[in-house]
Amino acid sequence: MTVTACICVLLLFVSISVGSVRISLSDMGTILWYTLRGLPVPSSIPEQNVTIFLSVRLPRALAAFFAGGALSLSGAVMQSLLQNPLASGYTLGVSSGASLGAAFVIVTDWSVPALGQFLLPASGFAAGLVTVLVVVAVAARIDRTLRSQTVVLIGMVVSLFVNAMLTLVSSFAGDRAKQLLAWTMGSFNGKRWYHVGVLMAAALFGLVVLLLSAKSLDVMSFGDDEAYAIGVNVRRQKILLLLVATLLTGVCVSFTGTIGFVDLVAPHVVRKLFGASNRRVLPMSFLIGGSFLALSDMVSRTILSPQEIPVGAVTALIGAPFFVVIYLKDRRKE
Amino acid sequence: MREAIRIEHLSSDYGKDMKILKDVSFTVGEGNSTAILGANGCGKTTLFRCLTGLLPFTGKVEIFGKDIRQLKRDEIARRIALLPQTSGVYFSYTVKECVELGRFVRGVRTSHDREVIDRAMELCGLSDLAQHPVDALSGGQLQRVFLARTIAQEAPVILLDEPTNHLDLRYQNELMEYLKEWEKGQTCLPDGSTCRNTLIGIYHDIGLAAQVSRDVVLMKDGRVLSAGKKEQVLSRERLTDAFDFDVTKALRERQEVLESCLSHS
Repeated sequence: MTVTACICVLLLFVSISVGSVRISLSDMGTILWYTLRGLPVPSSIPEQNVTIFLSVRLPRALAAFFAGGALSLSGAVMQSLLQNPLASGYTLGVSSGASLGAAFVIVTDWSVPALGQFLLPASGFAAGLVTVLVVVAVAARIDRTLRSQTVVLIGMVVSLFVNAMLTLVSSFAGDRAKQLLAWTMGSFNGKRWYHVGVLMAAALFGLVVLLLSAKSLDVMSFGDDEAYAIGVNVRRQKILLLLVATLLTGVCVSFTGTIGFVDLVAPHVVRKLFGASNRRVLPMSFLIGGSFLALSDMVSRTILSPQEIPVGAVTALIGAPFFVVIYLKDRRKE
Repeated sequence: MREAIRIEHLSSDYGKDMKILKDVSFTVGEGNSTAILGANGCGKTTLFRCLTGLLPFTGKVEIFGKDIRQLKRDEIARRIALLPQTSGVYFSYTVKECVELGRFVRGVRTSHDREVIDRAMELCGLSDLAQHPVDALSGGQLQRVFLARTIAQEAPVILLDEPTNHLDLRYQNELMEYLKEWEKGQTCLPDGSTCRNTLIGIYHDIGLAAQVSRDVVLMKDGRVLSAGKKEQVLSRERLTDAFDFDVTKALRERQEVLESCLSHS
């Protein structure tokens, strides 16, 4: 596990290093070392590189890292909680809801001066949260014990409904359709330190809360009746964990747009490598998901440079075949 | 003899897809293995859900003299455990991790905890499989893992919800052997008193139920039709009434066909 953690951190730095301007690992180390101690960076390193590293590359990579970590955590939780290896942070419709919220803002060109540029993420987050609350409320009404298949089914139905509304809204988007599309595909372009701050706070908060519930999450992955009998307060835990997972995905979607596959793939890879116990799955999903997204973001900005492709497309392009390979391997084992 | 479970006028009608229980009353004596029999949908599993605190109900349920509604989740789990039907596993926990989850409420750190876990695995013949991933096990082995987990919970009452479903006859017998072995033991209650282990099982196989239980509760349409010693409860008329079908005749016919096949070979 320690080795994997080191590799992840290394990958993070590699993904910072690569780009139109190459910054070597040792230069990065030097810049970090001096900046953290509050000293001026030695003039042997071009000033332009220092600026690129500190105010473009580093915040961007860290934003991607924490977003990837948060998404993977949320995916790991949803898979265990719903006993469904195909569940993800998006199963409850948070992304559809957030996209609809953002689409509404983009299409109507609505603005609230007090919120400024936070209006888009804020409305996305709010709409995502409302969607999830609708899903949970409807599911709880149909089925008091919130059984997994009910939650998944209602989540799917509501997502599809909200997606249809999104299609409807985007057909009125006209010349804003491109902006809308870019938003739904996700990007880390122009991410600054305050983005990193919000994403980091959400991801670390989620990690801590989830680690405290890791044991009950393990128990719940075997089914609700058993979890009750073993002594887990399933209903309360389910609502708490669904909310934390939604918060994690919601923050990511609202700041970066919909980025798929990280949340689906990272927990599976981790379970393959380290076993299913959530004490290990949660922190390792966080690390592996984070560095995977940072790496994907590097690919997205360099592969067709100077043009940037949406990171959501990159994760899906790498993630989808990867996922199939892992699943086929699993099948063969059986 | 103490009562392990006392159920008085229990009714439950929550949820449209849930089966309804109407005024169910019976008691289970400490150490008296009891079978609950009845047609599909007569409310057996719903009854178990009430006993583990999953479903709300009216009436009264006492476990070793304590009203279940006065007990918190973890306090119920210290008294009643549940062995479910063979279910799928979605994630590859190791056998040991899986057994340890049964001690969610009690913990796994002290030497007593480790001893209980080791003993449960040994009793179920799993000591050699401790580090095996559960998703690579056969159905019979998997059900033994779940049994070990249920035993590791250290509750004096174990509810069995069709535990031998999906198991072939050899594994059915094997599983019931492990259960009988457990039943001979005693368990300490949270208040320090010891009590004899007690099994309450839902079975579809009436022969198996008769084989492993002392008492039988016969249910129909959410009510108790008859309860008491198996010799008193199990009669042709009562079974026919409970299942709306001549069960004994069907069982006999099956037996006859099988025997005529065996005698030809």
